[in-house]
Amino acid sequence: MIEASGLSVAIGVKPIVSEVSLKARAGEVTVIIGPNGSGKTTLMRALSGEIPYAGSIRMNGNEIAGTKLGQLSAMRAVLPQATSLAFPFTVREIVRLGILDGRPGGAAQSERLPELALERVDLAGYAGRFYQELSGGEQQRVQLARVLCQVWQPVEEGVPRYLLLDEPVSSLDIRHQLVIMEIAQDFARNGGGVVAILHDLNLTAMFADHVIVMSGGRLAASGARAEVLKDDILARVFQCALKVNALPGGMVPFVLPQTACSGAP
Amino acid sequence: MVSCMERGGRIFSSFHRQARTEGDRSIRARLVIAVLLLMLPVAFLFSLSAGASDASLVALLRSIFAGEALAATDTIIIYDIRLPRVAMGALVGASLALSGAVMQGLFRNPLADPGVVGVSSGAALGAVTIIVLGDTFLAPFIEPLGSYALPLAAFAGALATTATLYRLATRKGRTSVATMLLAGIAIAAMAGAFTGLLIFIADDQQLRELTFWGLGSLAGATWVKLGAIGPTVAAALCAAPFLAKGLNALALGEAVAGHLGVSVQRFKHVAIIAVAAATGAVVAVSGGIGFVGIVAPHLLRLLIGPDHRYLLPASALLGAVLLLLADTAARTVVAPAELPIGIVTAAVGAPFFLWMLLRIRGIVDL
Repeated sequence: MIEASGLSVAIGVKPIVSEVSLKARAGEVTVIIGPNGSGKTTLMRALSGEIPYAGSIRMNGNEIAGTKLGQLSAMRAVLPQATSLAFPFTVREIVRLGILDGRPGGAAQSERLPELALERVDLAGYAGRFYQELSGGEQQRVQLARVLCQVWQPVEEGVPRYLLLDEPVSSLDIRHQLVIMEIAQDFARNGGGVVAILHDLNLTAMFADHVIVMSGGRLAASGARAEVLKDDILARVFQCALKVNALPGGMVPFVLPQTACSGAP
Repeated sequence: MVSCMERGGRIFSSFHRQARTEGDRSIRARLVIAVLLLMLPVAFLFSLSAGASDASLVALLRSIFAGEALAATDTIIIYDIRLPRVAMGALVGASLALSGAVMQGLFRNPLADPGVVGVSSGAALGAVTIIVLGDTFLAPFIEPLGSYALPLAAFAGALATTATLYRLATRKGRTSVATMLLAGIAIAAMAGAFTGLLIFIADDQQLRELTFWGLGSLAGATWVKLGAIGPTVAAALCAAPFLAKGLNALALGEAVAGHLGVSVQRFKHVAIIAVAAATGAVVAVSGGIGFVGIVAPHLLRLLIGPDHRYLLPASALLGAVLLLLADTAARTVVAPAELPIGIVTAAVGAPFFLWMLLRIRGIVDL
């Protein structure tokens, strides 16, 4: 479990996240939603151990501020919103960077892992391409494959591992949005923990076991999806008169991702 | 029939394996490193046998492998003059290319090079300070350092400039190329101004020494100088393999490197010190030899890709080979006189640098 209590983050003197307490359990997909500038990414960066914070964040019981980066990297993998690349690496070389030293499974499995991970994100056969030649969405999936390599087994030696995903589907087409969210769901079903920032409320409704709503750097709501995805909460947080489970009036067509996904509950 | 099928199976499985490791350039990289490992001794012997005197390769090989005695003058020329120089050339070339590759990885940019961004100018300021002021009020401080004073001062100059540059050009884990190049120009100009001031007060003897040194030359190589920079360069070369993984992770940005378990701040400090040590040592003994640090890593990136586990050793080897060839050219083209090697590397390297700028203009994006 990742457990934050009284978590505050300031960048410079400006408080970005204030007094947030949350729990992200192993075996669950925890989704963070909220308007732009509500502190979602900063919260995620604190959870990943990237920036200093006040308060407490425990990952599997270890306070992450006191945990060595090497240890942390074996416990969780992080997909940032955007990744820039300095040199002309091939896709396989990028994905391979996710394989850390001293992981169990041995060299033989390590050498096969990039291909398996690429297949997982629907990029089989892309290993030999140059990363810079790919489209934005393909690049994002390559990065996800790299991240998956880092925590390939959701549970290792009985200890759950975590995927921290900052807007993992932001530049993907609808099919690949579903593919990626299903990967996250599988990871959780197999005992790992997932924390994802999403902007798509329908995907949140489909895949979140637990929803955290951020607003103005504070926790606005938290709970199961049915408890949180409510008209009053959404209207207040997003300042937009949204209605849950209501059909739009008139003849404008609408498309819900739920309709494509037979496996979704 | 059976063997034919066996062979077919083997071909199929090797084909299959190739298909599976598509995008994996590690085998090619190892091959290139092996070729470079073979080229280095060849270039070394070639350089050792070439020069104004006609101490020949054949005589040298005979003396090494067949035990035939060399003529007395040839012995002196080869063992006391050429050998330290050739050994120095190999060390200097390896350090230049390696510091180039490390710095490019650190700044995440193929144009970063100690010579281009002012680090060499900082090192030169350190070195010139010792040459010009070594006998004056600084004497009590540098006397105990002996022959290490020059490389140490150059190291200090290189360290100060690299650290300043990184501080200026990098914000939130991203290095702005424009800031880096502009800051490099300003730092180089500042170091140049102080160096100029020192040259202004230098006497005639020092002036002559400085001029040739500034053009870049291995002509002054002696066993003593080699001994003075040897440990520093060896330390930097030995540190390189430990930097490879960190530089690979850093290619994805500082944040991702952190996610992958790299302690970024500490890593940067180590890399900056290694680059400064190697650059300082090299500038102290050979002056301004430019472009090896850009040409060697860039050629290798085209050939084997940017994986630093292979790029760093390959760069060191190619740098050594290139500099040995350049020095051989410098010694033979206008024999019995010789060109400063800096002229040779700049004449070849500068057009190469411009060609690179053309190719990657999109990335530079000033």
